[in-house]
Amino acid sequence: MEGNNEKIRERSLIPVLLSHHYMIIKNNPEEIQTYLVDAANYKGFCEEVVFPESENDIINIVKEANKTGKKITVAGNGTGLTGARVPEGGIVIATDKLNSIINIDCDNQKALVQPAVLLADFQSELKEKELFYPPDPTETNCFIGATIATNASGARTFKYGPTRNFVNKLNVILPTGEILSIERGKNFAEDNKLTLLTGTGSEIIVNVPKYKMPGTKHSAGYYVNPRMDAIDLFIGAEGTLGIITEVELKVLPLPQNVFSSVIFFSNEDDALSFISAVRNKSKDNPESIIDASALEYFDERALKFLIDDFPNIPAEAKAAVWLENEFEKKDEEILYNKWIELIEKFNGDIDNAWFAFDNVERKSFQDFRHAVSWKVSEYLVKNNLKKVGTDTAVPHEKFKEFYYSCKDLVENAGIDYIAYGHFGDSHLHLNMLPKSENEYSAAKELYADICRLSVSLGGTISAEHGIGKLKREYLLEMYGEKYIIEMAKVKKMLDPNSIMNIGNIFSEEYLK
Amino acid sequence: MKIAVCVSHVPDTATKVNVGAEGKSIDPNGVTYVVNPYDEFAIEEALKTKEKIGDGEVVAISVGPDANKETIRKALAMGVDSGVLLKDDQFRDSASVAKALAEEIKALGAELVFFGKQAVDYDNSVVGQMTAEYLGYNCISVVVDFKLDDRKVTCEREIEGGKEIVSTTLPVVITTQKGLNDPRYASLKGIMAAKRKTIEEKQPAAAENKVEIIKMKKPASKQPGKVLGSDATVVPELVRLLREEAKVI
Repeated sequence: MEGNNEKIRERSLIPVLLSHHYMIIKNNPEEIQTYLVDAANYKGFCEEVVFPESENDIINIVKEANKTGKKITVAGNGTGLTGARVPEGGIVIATDKLNSIINIDCDNQKALVQPAVLLADFQSELKEKELFYPPDPTETNCFIGATIATNASGARTFKYGPTRNFVNKLNVILPTGEILSIERGKNFAEDNKLTLLTGTGSEIIVNVPKYKMPGTKHSAGYYVNPRMDAIDLFIGAEGTLGIITEVELKVLPLPQNVFSSVIFFSNEDDALSFISAVRNKSKDNPESIIDASALEYFDERALKFLIDDFPNIPAEAKAAVWLENEFEKKDEEILYNKWIELIEKFNGDIDNAWFAFDNVERKSFQDFRHAVSWKVSEYLVKNNLKKVGTDTAVPHEKFKEFYYSCKDLVENAGIDYIAYGHFGDSHLHLNMLPKSENEYSAAKELYADICRLSVSLGGTISAEHGIGKLKREYLLEMYGEKYIIEMAKVKKMLDPNSIMNIGNIFSEEYLK
Repeated sequence: MKIAVCVSHVPDTATKVNVGAEGKSIDPNGVTYVVNPYDEFAIEEALKTKEKIGDGEVVAISVGPDANKETIRKALAMGVDSGVLLKDDQFRDSASVAKALAEEIKALGAELVFFGKQAVDYDNSVVGQMTAEYLGYNCISVVVDFKLDDRKVTCEREIEGGKEIVSTTLPVVITTQKGLNDPRYASLKGIMAAKRKTIEEKQPAAAENKVEIIKMKKPASKQPGKVLGSDATVVPELVRLLREEAKVI
């Protein structure tokens, strides 16, 4: 094997890598193919994949790439759905080796981690220390660094907000190879200007774009606001502004008592009204004992996908809601009574509802939630189909209208679909399941229509998946070219030679 | 009619189990305990039977320490009417557990008794049958379909390579297998009611253990894997090792 590596090094396109003889570099097509694709099955190509083992390795690679104009794509664990990690030439920096949990500080409720720590591993380490980290994207086999680059969210975002809310500090290697250490609360924009001070003392001034972000859950384009914290620019920037090499995260004490339930409804309207009522009681209402941490919806079609694995789903159910509510032991009885009252008020099927007796059952309800996504994937693979799935969120008061319009659109087109999602956040995953190329093209048209509808109602085209390379045209439509150009200017300030994660968020032409 | 369902409180199969310091028992520290999964089929079938008859009382019985109350409480939350803990902190073997259960079932006058086909802690798969023997009841084990028609019981049971249909009459002990039913989740009202109900504690009938645990140990941990390489050139070596070392081909 040593001989093979030698050969690879000889072929290496970046001379500086040769001097780091310990660094693994792969270019054998069989070995690197997993770095050329993501969970959306979007495919790309590259010259080689390098595996730095330290922040210094990354600095060396980036500096050399910046000098030679070599394009760099940073790879997480390939669980994304937008093509953001998929290279279109140049080299891939796989952060896989930077995978240590450096420290968990129980007293101060924070943790220092490297970017390639798996979210699932991090969460189980914390659990042993009676701590927890709220961001919980459905796919937990992802790298922490990537969850920051995409500002990932999940079911618990309903109560706790997205990843952004839990990032205290970041170390970022800028596309010039300079290091930037940013701590939340230390550096704010003034008059739409951010001044960043790098490790070498140079100053970079960034003009914050002036578009207004939707007030919904949102992960599309750079985070901006006239008085923004510098750290927020790098969270959700999809790797276009730098490579995250170390991060300090805020963690919380593990909730001891969690009410967990799946409630079935005999019509969708009752279920949607129930969600709306739970949201109103939970949000900005500290007096309310009802305080859901997760609030998710499944339509009848989604339930049909699950019934083989969960035979207790009542046959007549037209909709279901899964929810969790953390509580204090002393409030248990009052809480249960309040939930019974609310479920009955909205005609939820109280007799057939599922209630977790213990954490083992609570976990099985979480599995129920997670099963939807993989059952759909399984169905697609088995039938050799491609899905077209929305990721929109709209203002709460518009959600019902939006939801029914989307369903009408898809049903009128005669395309098979399932609907579910984080309805607590008015965030819909409507997965269209076209059965032919013609239907696929029609579904893509509908996707664009649904994005337009969301934007027209004051919503977003992407609430959590991000833009990557697959959704740029919709972002362009959402913000308009003027603001895409402002975003590209931010990138140019930090990446003057246009080398890093080119093609994410906006196309390369805006960097010329 | 009184229906008894016998339940066991066992380590969750997903939990990491360690042997206690004295080398004869499971160390309960850090172990999550659950209702024995096969017993959930027994509870469900008892409840379904009661619902079908439209009358009757289902009583859950467990032998063991205070912690077993949690399992009884789950049965109550699912809809069981009452629970009895035959409290004993000491180790009891299968026969001794069966003896205690038989005495209690006799006292209750239950003629229909459900057990899980085995408990997933010690996996002896004998307590149901032994209890039937002590009671002088009929017994059908590993049941995947259960029908009660007046006093006649007809069951389908799993056997090696197939199924057989067996019939008998009450009184009977049934041990339940996966496939018999889909256990319900507890209802919220059930959970609330279960929290309020008191679980009757009783002294179990004395019985001598016929089995003594001499030593308990964990299986040898897996050998670390070997990485030969990552391309086609290592295949001949892989084949050689599979043939000569692992002896699997």
